[in-house]
Amino acid sequence: MSDKLKEIINKQSKQADSAINHTDDIVQLVGFIIGQEEYAVPILTIQEIIKPIAWTRVPQTPKYILGVFNLRGSVIPLIDLRVKFGLKPKKHNEETRFFVLKQGDDVAGFVIDRLTMALRIKKSDIGPAPDSVAGDDSMIDGVGKQNDKILTILKVKKLLERDF
Amino acid sequence: MDEFQEILQDFLVESFELIEQLDQDLVELESRPEDLELLNGIFRVAHTVKGASSFLNFDVLTHLTHHMEDVLNKARHGDLVIDANIMDVILESIDLMKTLLHLIRDTSSDAGVDVSACVSRLDKVSGGTGEVESPVATPAVEEPKAEETPAETAEEELDYDNMSDADVEAEIERLLAERQEQDKAKRAAKIAAGESVPEAPPAPMEENSAKPEQESAPAPVPKPAPVPVAPKAAPAKEKSDDTVAAAPATRTPAVVEQTIRVDVKRLDHLMNLIGELVLAKNRLIKINDDVEERYEGEEFLEELNQVVSIVSLVTTDLQIAVMKTRMLPVGKVFNKFPRMIRDLTRELNKKMELEISGEETELDKSIVEEIGDPLVHIIRNSCDHGIEMPDVRLAAGKPEVGTISLKAYNEGNAIVIQIDDDGKGLDAEMLKAKSLEKGVITEKEAEIMSEKEAFALIFKPGFSTAASVTSVSGRGVGMDVVKTNIEKLNGIIDIESTIGKGTSLKLKIPLTLAIIQALLVGVQEEHYAIPLASVLETVRISKDEIFSVENRSVLRLRNEVLSLVHIGDIFEVERILDSSEHAYVVVLGLGSSKIGLIVDSLIGQEEIVIKSLGDYLTGVEGIAGATIRGDGGVTLIVDVAALMTMAKGVKVPAMMEESSSATKEKTKASDYTVMIVDDSKTDRTIMRKALEPIGITLVEAADGQEALNILKQGDHTFDAMLVDIEMPRMDGYTLATEIKKYNRYKNLPLIAVTSRTGKSDRMRGVESGMVEYITKPYSADYLLSVVQRNVNFKSEFL
Repeated sequence: MSDKLKEIINKQSKQADSAINHTDDIVQLVGFIIGQEEYAVPILTIQEIIKPIAWTRVPQTPKYILGVFNLRGSVIPLIDLRVKFGLKPKKHNEETRFFVLKQGDDVAGFVIDRLTMALRIKKSDIGPAPDSVAGDDSMIDGVGKQNDKILTILKVKKLLERDF
Repeated sequence: MDEFQEILQDFLVESFELIEQLDQDLVELESRPEDLELLNGIFRVAHTVKGASSFLNFDVLTHLTHHMEDVLNKARHGDLVIDANIMDVILESIDLMKTLLHLIRDTSSDAGVDVSACVSRLDKVSGGTGEVESPVATPAVEEPKAEETPAETAEEELDYDNMSDADVEAEIERLLAERQEQDKAKRAAKIAAGESVPEAPPAPMEENSAKPEQESAPAPVPKPAPVPVAPKAAPAKEKSDDTVAAAPATRTPAVVEQTIRVDVKRLDHLMNLIGELVLAKNRLIKINDDVEERYEGEEFLEELNQVVSIVSLVTTDLQIAVMKTRMLPVGKVFNKFPRMIRDLTRELNKKMELEISGEETELDKSIVEEIGDPLVHIIRNSCDHGIEMPDVRLAAGKPEVGTISLKAYNEGNAIVIQIDDDGKGLDAEMLKAKSLEKGVITEKEAEIMSEKEAFALIFKPGFSTAASVTSVSGRGVGMDVVKTNIEKLNGIIDIESTIGKGTSLKLKIPLTLAIIQALLVGVQEEHYAIPLASVLETVRISKDEIFSVENRSVLRLRNEVLSLVHIGDIFEVERILDSSEHAYVVVLGLGSSKIGLIVDSLIGQEEIVIKSLGDYLTGVEGIAGATIRGDGGVTLIVDVAALMTMAKGVKVPAMMEESSSATKEKTKASDYTVMIVDDSKTDRTIMRKALEPIGITLVEAADGQEALNILKQGDHTFDAMLVDIEMPRMDGYTLATEIKKYNRYKNLPLIAVTSRTGKSDRMRGVESGMVEYITKPYSADYLLSVVQRNVNFKSEFL
């Protein structure tokens, strides 16, 4: 009885496996500016991009954590990427945006100076991060080349990782 | 593997449920070995688990449960009287069964646990009865007994044969189980799928209970002595008929509870939704208040009011209803304690009894889960350190048997769990001495310590009263873990004790974790929520009531000295606004410790929904979580326990004010900055034209609100402000008053530029803090000279 059961179950799981895997060689990214540099994150990691809203400071945290804000009922941490990247904090202006990034259950908002655009880059146009900054601890996933410019692709997982 | 997993899940859920009840039943059984109903219940558990596990091919578990079933079946038929020794074996086998179930849960397999030792002990108990121990076949048992005794002996000999080759026996068992499985597959599937949960209908019960007997019969057939088998099986069946027929009659009424098993995730989701609803309700109430203010006396207000109150009423009811669905009787936790006490009694050679009351008191599921471990610890502690050895007790004139009582009851919005023992009690002096020795407290602290505070020492990390570490309580984790766990639940521990009489511990725990009442307080421009459960009172004091003792602020409140700490010092709040000469003190109490928290303002009481700060921000010291307020903003919830610890580190007198803002040396004309506040573009331009020539920096604002925002941003350090009086949104007077609230701008010269010339206007200007009064129209030179004078403009820049 149980053998039969297992047989059926196995058959079903095999069918599920045989679904074709599409591997696209185009990566879709969204670019943004912090300070003078252009950065990008994969489009699928972005939950949403919103205009700055009020946030609440959280004490006993590093400077780059601005606090928490309310995104439709969820309390989400807000991180200033300028400060995180060692730049001076800047007043929020018309172009400032909050990037809400999500990976798995981890969600956080990131303050960026300016949004550039969504872009499609061929995988072959993405090079590894320079040796000096590569490695598990690096926030840089790779360097994308497009036309005349270079943009730094960030590791969302690393961004969402608590490091204090 | 989904289907298989599903069945497995149901099997596990059911088995764990059954086992939970089992422990208690077994302990009860020991005191009332003749209780057939109890025996039947226990037997059924073993049987159900066996049936389902054989269906799921868990051979080891099947093997074990089969033997348990054997023993229990004999007891059920009166062939065996359960005494302490037999009970030990049964309990051991149940523990093993639990281990196996846990293993199955974690690895989906029951391989790797050796049950043979336990199985052979079980066999000895069931088989060896007739020969080894005479008290087993009690003379009290009826006639059939006599016929059976030889049968027992015979079978027992058989067993010896088998046991000489344990593997063969195991193999036979396995084959048997497999054969049974064929028969029972359908029925077991039903049980395992959780359809007709613990109580199987009487008919199959009878069939099942008889089966192991019948089937164990053919197995020994090839071996010698087949004769006794038949007579043995027959009376057994007869008996089981009786007992089973009797059982449903008494049991059924309790079973007819109508229940649905719901995934906890769904309830959690529901709770979250309710949380959202509560937030929306709070918001609605706030809007309603605003609307009421603005459209006073309008007819539609009444209707709105009604709708708002209905919504808020229903929301509250809904919240309570959902909370209730998540409630579990605390007995679920209490159930495991009789067994624990029993084990401890034997382990420690003490005599103890456990009295349980109020087990029907209900608590939120998440709390019930969290509270188990602390209780285990407390009770173990009471047994180990509290209750004395029997001879000591007798010498002290106490009954030989120590009593530990476990009580649960409701008290307001909380549930209290009280653990009393009539042991030797806590010795405050001894506790102090021990803590001194271990360096937990200083001598000075010990001197001023009250008895209650001394009792609370047992919760300090690094403290253990047992002179020798035993396996029972000294497991490297002290009572401090208990305290942390209880405080995590926003609970409070209260401890009372009399030497020689006993100790009483009270745990006060809120009914639910998700929604709490909170006191909202303000400090500068920030708001914080303090769980109302830990707020004892709030007092308004004037600043000269605050004294400084050894670098710490204290307040004399009635007859007590309360140490004070400013919330701003704990949460690193920048002191921008000037605080008035009055302060509000929120007196916080947690267990026996108290502290006064100074805040700038009290906002009010509100029902708040606790939200986590998320993984990224967990463990922020002093913050327990966050909530979303009626206006959509986020307010942080204070972790009172952590705050108290943090307060100890704050040494600065709470009211000390640092005078910073060192004025920078002016090196050029453009270092001077003046703000022009006027709603008229023309007026602003006129002023700009007048001031530009000397090269100072000018910032413009179109009204008071904008000006205030610019100041708050702090991008510029202003040396003076030119303020128009008549402005939309915020006029000049209000602006001046607001500005003067800020420490930083206390000495900022404000120059009124207005066409209002009345004397009362000038008076109001002075009152609100204006230093100069320029009436329109004015000459450019005059304006310039006034500004130069007020900013101390250095002549060399001209």
